[in-house]
Amino acid sequence: MRGARGGLILLGTVGMAYGAWLLLSTQDLGQVVEVMIWLAAAVVIHDGILAPAVLALGWLGGRLLPRAVARGAVTVLVLLGPVTLVAIPVLGRFGAKPDNPTLLDRDYVQGLLVFAVLCMCAGVAVALGELRSRQTTQPTVEEE
Amino acid sequence: MRIPSEDSFTSRLRSAAVAARVGLWLGICFLVALATGLISHYAQVDHQPVPLPTSPSWGYQVTQGLHVVAGTAAIPLLLIKLWVVFPKLFQPMPRRVREALPTALERGSIAILVSTSLVQLTTGLLNVAQWYPWGFSFRSTHYALAFVAVGALLVHIAVKLPVVRDALTGDVEDTAHDRPNARQSGPVSRRGVLVLAGTSALAAAFLYTAGTVPGVGRIAALSPRSRQHGIPINRTAHSAGVVAEASSSDYRLEVVHGTTSRSLSRQDLVAMEQRTCTLPIACVEGWSATGDWGGVRLRDLLDLVGAPPGREVRIRSIQTFSASADTVLPPNFADDDRTLLALELDGETLSMDHGYPVRLIAPNRPGVMQTKWVSRIEVLG
Repeated sequence: MRGARGGLILLGTVGMAYGAWLLLSTQDLGQVVEVMIWLAAAVVIHDGILAPAVLALGWLGGRLLPRAVARGAVTVLVLLGPVTLVAIPVLGRFGAKPDNPTLLDRDYVQGLLVFAVLCMCAGVAVALGELRSRQTTQPTVEEE
Repeated sequence: MRIPSEDSFTSRLRSAAVAARVGLWLGICFLVALATGLISHYAQVDHQPVPLPTSPSWGYQVTQGLHVVAGTAAIPLLLIKLWVVFPKLFQPMPRRVREALPTALERGSIAILVSTSLVQLTTGLLNVAQWYPWGFSFRSTHYALAFVAVGALLVHIAVKLPVVRDALTGDVEDTAHDRPNARQSGPVSRRGVLVLAGTSALAAAFLYTAGTVPGVGRIAALSPRSRQHGIPINRTAHSAGVVAEASSSDYRLEVVHGTTSRSLSRQDLVAMEQRTCTLPIACVEGWSATGDWGGVRLRDLLDLVGAPPGREVRIRSIQTFSASADTVLPPNFADDDRTLLALELDGETLSMDHGYPVRLIAPNRPGVMQTKWVSRIEVLG
């Protein structure tokens, strides 16, 4: 196990060094700087904005919502949140080209709304399931 | 506002048992994306030391479909993984130098892993929708950072291996590797988190990447591509700047082998033996669509100039400002019966945007190298 771990660390370090060399040898200085800005911005946006926002939602939900509702809310958040982030490029149609009708050829707002409704239904189903299981297993002890 | 410490986080969902399981799925996604990405980059090398096979004709279609599926599925998984391990961001540094140095190195590798993973998934996602809000080359940067991200992942796996092994062989409710105060039950169970993570990953991947899959493409509501306009187009004739030359009656296809050459008009090509082939166009962006192509077999054109089998063949386009304007077909592709200079698509004359007057279509080849508006075919020595 010790040998395997050492080997993995060595291989990983070589991989990182090779990737860094590839980047430096194919992009000019301005482009490398821009890649560095993207790398830093990704961490800042995730750790500084997205993660605290989700923490705040969790904190509020934990205090304000009854358990069954919180369960439904978490379901909606985990299903809909990442998909909404994934949809940003198509919702904004940032890559659209006027002469190419085969690119971005759907109504993405409508599509995301339909998916959001499906997530809400899943959330309601989960909340109702929680309420029903609580009724049938009464008197309840804390579930976990 | 007070900066939280690791012990401010009390949910029992933030557990090694959950992190290891989501991490395992994420690792599989990264492995699939790396392997299929390497295949794609190799397929675009002009003189391949060992040429890729021409069969199955849908090989590139499947590998590149998997590439974007794995990448898109990894987005929800990465976000959930980072949520689970978020308290570690607030771990104190050891005071003693002997312990602080390895800790600093490990944290540094985690920082590289997180930042390159986020950037790889984001730039890949944006590339599928052809949105490029940056000045660096997507292709070179995505390729280079893949090695950095996977390298950092290997280091991370090596460091965590004992914990990962315990966590994956133990029960999901196991708390052996958890902080003592991470005991508060959440609104959902650990199994619930895993089910939600998997569902979220599958939903994102399906909605964003399945747009050109027959049957279900219509409900893949967030896909940048569909089949409602027929086979999708990446570069139009207009944006490639080829409209005038491609529609000119002076157009000729040059076929060159050493000192022998032939100059063929589109009528000359139509007069040759016509063959049809059902082959996919498969883009590195993940979409693919199969069409019935009609035209002249490349091997028949090579026979016209007396080219022996087993030669590489250079294909040039009218278009000049593109990587795909000048590519080399390996010998096995040049000699394959299914490799056509296509004049028709699905029974109709090739449209200008699909490469009129004539385009290359070969099995198991990256879409970007299925050269449109072909002007010259040159047998290499």
